[in-house]
Amino acid sequence: MADSGFVPKIVYALCAWCGSGGSETAGAYWLKYPENVRPFRVMCTGALDPAYVLRALIEGADGVVVSGCHPGDCHYNIGNFRARRRIAVMKTILDTFGIDGDRLWLRWVAHGEGKKLADTASEFSEHIKAKGENPLKRWDT
Amino acid sequence: MPKGFLLERNASDAIKELVRALIEKGLVGGAVLPVRLPTGDNYAFVFTRDEETISSSAPISPVMPVQGARVLSKLTKKQPLSKAAVAVLKPCEVRASIELAKINQLDRNSFVFVSFDCPGVYSLKSYRENPDGVEAAFSEECSSFSLSNPRPLCAVCEDFTGEFADIEVQFVGIKGTKVVAKTEKGLSFLKEIGWDQQIDDEDREEIKKIKEERLKARQAFKEEFGSMVDSPEKLLDVLSSCINCHNCRSVCPICFCRECFFDSTALRVPPHLYLERARRKGGLRFMPDTLLFHLGRMNHMSLSCVSCGMCEDACPNMVPVGRLFSLVSERTRAIFGYKPGRDINEPIPYLEFREEELEEYEVPYFEARE
Repeated sequence: MADSGFVPKIVYALCAWCGSGGSETAGAYWLKYPENVRPFRVMCTGALDPAYVLRALIEGADGVVVSGCHPGDCHYNIGNFRARRRIAVMKTILDTFGIDGDRLWLRWVAHGEGKKLADTASEFSEHIKAKGENPLKRWDT
Repeated sequence: MPKGFLLERNASDAIKELVRALIEKGLVGGAVLPVRLPTGDNYAFVFTRDEETISSSAPISPVMPVQGARVLSKLTKKQPLSKAAVAVLKPCEVRASIELAKINQLDRNSFVFVSFDCPGVYSLKSYRENPDGVEAAFSEECSSFSLSNPRPLCAVCEDFTGEFADIEVQFVGIKGTKVVAKTEKGLSFLKEIGWDQQIDDEDREEIKKIKEERLKARQAFKEEFGSMVDSPEKLLDVLSSCINCHNCRSVCPICFCRECFFDSTALRVPPHLYLERARRKGGLRFMPDTLLFHLGRMNHMSLSCVSCGMCEDACPNMVPVGRLFSLVSERTRAIFGYKPGRDINEPIPYLEFREEELEEYEVPYFEARE
């Protein structure tokens, strides 16, 4: 890929149990992820209100990726199922207005899946780099 | 066989007669229905059992200044009515009421819903410009079922019959007016006043025809309006006249939260954070968070949006909010095959889940092998 020098700003929402756990595992194995990915810890993906994601996208993030426990593993039993429904709605709304729902990713990461977490961070970073800057980065929003 | 009663009079008078009969028999404690205010330039919902007020009421009103679901919610949010009341509502008000009942913002058992073939309403602004002119034309337009200048969403409304109420009042394509029980509850009330004759409740040809036309109009609206907002630039153009007054939120029947996130202290931040945001984006429009407000509200309530168009009516700057929300809500509802207000036992999609669903919204992972 031609390097345009564009470094996307990425927010990585991690649930306090599996997502953050995955990042701990990644750390224990000295796995690296790109520096432009900023982890953001929430108690549960089900506690991630759409407003947080939208806020990030409107205020300068180029993409948001969400990771939590695999379905059935939620610490609060059903939080990730609810998150999945919310994210489906969010993506649909973003797509309606051409903001591109693909700037928002959902991928489950378990506590032990450090490699998956680091891979997701790099993969998403490349994915957004190919997409280019977020069109919402303007003063009149 | 459906049960009901055929009356030899127009729909408005039939509804009034029904309300009177229910009150006289002591079956309901009162009625909630629209009445034209003495000034003549507006309507309001009135909770009454007074014969004179009921006679002067206008069950089928040409405007909707307040959404009926909000009225019923106001009445029964704290506790149920001691005696049920009959509520005369437009179809979208019935659907919004059922949505509110699902989230305990309204006591469904406190009301008997009566609804009718709704011809649509005028926007409050256009009504107030010439109330007498609209009134003069309205009864004629009611029977031909086409308003000259309805709310934009009324023109593309496909759910204009009272099928989700307890008692449906039909007049399109019928000589006289038919009062039909649609639920057990509606039937029990009609039985008490002796309006429970065998009656045919077939699909009416006229309604089918109007539905088809509306379906076409809605399709055209989706394409036309959809292409007006299909990029962030265009969306911001459409929202450019928004002054962030949150009127649309205040009149929305679905937005019930006691404190809205978008009015909360979460969005009241110290000045240095505004500076930081301005630096990041090359400036900051004030009032800030306009786009966040609209997109956020879509995420919060679009699944329950009944496309009543209240928000658009309340907008001081003619932002097509109602059309925006209606467009989005149709797409978000389609994910779950959900229809707001159809059935009180159908939970709002945010409140339930299936263990295996929506996998297409997850991003699959293939471990890179070296």
